[in-house]
Amino acid sequence: MKRDSTPPDDANKIRCPRLGHQITFSYCRRENYGLPCFRTMECWYPHFLVEDYLRKELSPEEWDKAFTCSDKTKTASLVELIEQAKERTRKSPDTGG
Amino acid sequence: MQVKKIFLPESELPRQWYNIMADMPTPMEPPLHPGTGQPVGPDDLAPIFPMNLIEQEVSTQRWIDIPQEVLEKYVIWRPTPLYRAYELEKHLKTPAKIYFKNEGVSPPGSHKPNTAIAQAYYNKVAGTKRICTETGAGQWGSALAMCCALFGLECKVFMVKISFNQKPYRKLMMQTWGANCVASPSTETEAGRKILAQDPDSPGSLGIAISEAVEAAVTGKDTKYSLGSVLNHVMLHQTVNGLETQKQMAIAGDYPDVVIGCAGGGSNFAGICLPFVCDKIHGKDIDIIGVEPSSCPTMTQGPFAYDFGDTVQMTPLLPMHTLGHNFIPAPIHAGGLRYHGMAPIISQLILDNLIRPIAVHQMETFQAGITFANTEGFISAPETNHAIAVVIREALKAKEEGKEKVILFNWSGHGLVDMAAYQAYFEGRLADYPLPAEDIKRALADIAPLPKPKQYTASKI
Repeated sequence: MKRDSTPPDDANKIRCPRLGHQITFSYCRRENYGLPCFRTMECWYPHFLVEDYLRKELSPEEWDKAFTCSDKTKTASLVELIEQAKERTRKSPDTGG
Repeated sequence: MQVKKIFLPESELPRQWYNIMADMPTPMEPPLHPGTGQPVGPDDLAPIFPMNLIEQEVSTQRWIDIPQEVLEKYVIWRPTPLYRAYELEKHLKTPAKIYFKNEGVSPPGSHKPNTAIAQAYYNKVAGTKRICTETGAGQWGSALAMCCALFGLECKVFMVKISFNQKPYRKLMMQTWGANCVASPSTETEAGRKILAQDPDSPGSLGIAISEAVEAAVTGKDTKYSLGSVLNHVMLHQTVNGLETQKQMAIAGDYPDVVIGCAGGGSNFAGICLPFVCDKIHGKDIDIIGVEPSSCPTMTQGPFAYDFGDTVQMTPLLPMHTLGHNFIPAPIHAGGLRYHGMAPIISQLILDNLIRPIAVHQMETFQAGITFANTEGFISAPETNHAIAVVIREALKAKEEGKEKVILFNWSGHGLVDMAAYQAYFEGRLADYPLPAEDIKRALADIAPLPKPKQYTASKI
């Protein structure tokens, strides 16, 4: 594949190391709430100049949200999730997940 | 005629699992609570795991009885046969004797049910009615689905939507076993609904699916969560494999000089190797090798440090060989080898020089898998090909040295529902991409602020 900043089309797939099957760049590009998967650059850098492409595509805020460790997301700890779920269960005890 | 397969009668199925925690030369350091930094207690995990499994997670008892009800299910596929790879030996012209344990004979085609059936049982006796989990391509989801069916439990699988749409066969396997497999994000959890509200066409992600499964376990009546790798009790259940193998090797009249397994989260590798690690601790001279992709060099290049088990930092902090929870490997073609962190038990055994990690490039693994298919017949899962690649290396080394080594490896599963990876190889769409040291350094910066275990080691980069 020519190494430029044009992303590969959906005919080109790579195997996703997280999911265990082939995926397209278009999936990686919007995997995270429409933002790129945090692995996008590392997975696709051998195939094209993905960083150049994404720098042009994303605003600085979107870039940070996608690739910078987000305290908000990462502090969504298991314990916090459990406590939130307990609260929901108390409010609606018959509600299953 | 030469004996090709060494069968073990059902009466010889091991009655106990082996718990390496009793023999670890260095005691394991506890997982830390991500909020407080204090050791995690049973109550922290109780919302998602039954207490009997939490007890196993922290147990240091050397032998743990396998319940009769689990044995009665194990015999559906266990004991699994041990094969002598005569044709591969001939092809390589090696004096080495090569044995492989065929874990692909289980109904879902991998080692995964060895723990799924135990987890289903312990949940059943603890009163759990429904187990939730997440899955990507579906190997773990299908194993848990079958095991829940065998114990009359409901099984809920949150399958990443893009996988749900692209991997119909594993999904159909889950459905055949009665599991309720839904595309994630779903409307069934707050986590899923929140994502769909923001992006109705979200194709999902593994992180979202985990969040949904955990939330479903926490909020659902009589509902728990199940994980297929990394945790201590998962490693424990997998030892039934290695214990069988020891008996079969004795029948064959051999003892391995080398034990090899592919190492993702560590469960299939732990299954074959831990009973042999016990022998090594007690004086046996064995080379025990865990194989990982060169583009995901967790064991070979990562420091031993505390890290989260997941990228969204929801799991407790665990001491492990890690390249950081945001470590991002280059494209690798082995779905099960996607963990950035190795199981803490395996990490500790590497630190104690009882296990030797080796990394191989993906092209070599597929070449090895094709050699294996053309000599021994079986088409291996892409993950399993990693082990075969090192088996071939070791067999050729024995040839060079003129040594009649005994090589044992775990054939952890077939690749019959993963032929797309082979197709990519045949079409020349695979390539090896070693990860630059600079990328690894960048990833390690993420774990720099986290607490350091007593045995912290620096990165090898």
